[in-house]
Amino acid sequence: MTVYRDSGTGPPEEYVEAEIHRLLTEDPAVAEQGITVAHTERGLVLYGEVESAHRRDEILRRVAGRFPDVPITSDIGVIRTQAPTEIEQLP
Amino acid sequence: MVIRIAAVGDVHLDEDVVGRFRPALEELPDRADALLLAGDLTRHGTEAEARCVAQEFGGLGIPVIAVLGNHDHQCDQVPQVIGTLEDAGITVLEGNGVVLDCPGGRLGVAGVKGFGGGFAGRCASDFGEPEMKAFVRTTTESSDRLAAALRSLDCDVLVALTHYSPVPDTLAGEPLEIYPFLGSYQLGQAIDTAPTALALHGHAHHGSERGVTPGGIRVRNVAHPVIKQAYSIFYLGDHLDQTQVSTVGARGTQQPWS
Repeated sequence: MTVYRDSGTGPPEEYVEAEIHRLLTEDPAVAEQGITVAHTERGLVLYGEVESAHRRDEILRRVAGRFPDVPITSDIGVIRTQAPTEIEQLP
Repeated sequence: MVIRIAAVGDVHLDEDVVGRFRPALEELPDRADALLLAGDLTRHGTEAEARCVAQEFGGLGIPVIAVLGNHDHQCDQVPQVIGTLEDAGITVLEGNGVVLDCPGGRLGVAGVKGFGGGFAGRCASDFGEPEMKAFVRTTTESSDRLAAALRSLDCDVLVALTHYSPVPDTLAGEPLEIYPFLGSYQLGQAIDTAPTALALHGHAHHGSERGVTPGGIRVRNVAHPVIKQAYSIFYLGDHLDQTQVSTVGARGTQQPWS
């Protein structure tokens, strides 16, 4: 874990965002590159879409575990897998 | 005559996803002549995950042709991944191609994973540190293999299949800062050296569906998070109405030209 000089205020948000991105990509239990981290008044919000509800839950669990003092909410969806209802014609 | 292609990329299979695509895939024999997979078939590129891909995308009753993506390289088990997929009847392309005899003609598919580097005017160059030169040369060699594979195929309709994007158009929605990690103009240049009818890619989860190469060849980003369905279907033929998008009825895809 990175130690910051000003431990009273915690790490700058940019570093938190960068660490979350790397955590989600490099953690073998997650391996997601398509999650966006947004700063809001209510804390960090995770956006994106994944292939299963299990992965969505695991992402929030891992991030909350890594940053227990940062309010984090998830708005991650599970991508639909229905058959297409349209085709595209390409002459 | 029409050649019908289904395509999807970035399905990132593991045990938790097996079975989600299968109901839609079971419809494919009535709806497409071939299924193309645009890389990132697994989460980490393990042999166990490849078995999940084989279970989900094998035995569909139509040819399945794939390229690998960056995720499929993560655990350095590429030979085992390819072997598992090919044992399930899935053809894996990397610098080569295949020609399929379809009812509507001969479909040629040439594929590479591709790599990054960026796009004209804002791309990396073969200059400086060894690491930077290796990065750019990886893309150059991949693009050269794609061009050679495309030009080697004798077919009626030619399709290029990559994981990385050949154009910036289909990256719209991604942060500009990461474009060099999402594709390269060199892939587009390779596609433009052959009579390619369509280029399919994945990788850009936040990108957009449609683009065109500088040479006028249509490009489609079929990454699953972009198309938001099990696969997309493209009909290629010389008499189709370009502006028409067909709907699918309860009994299958309607054919508006029939």
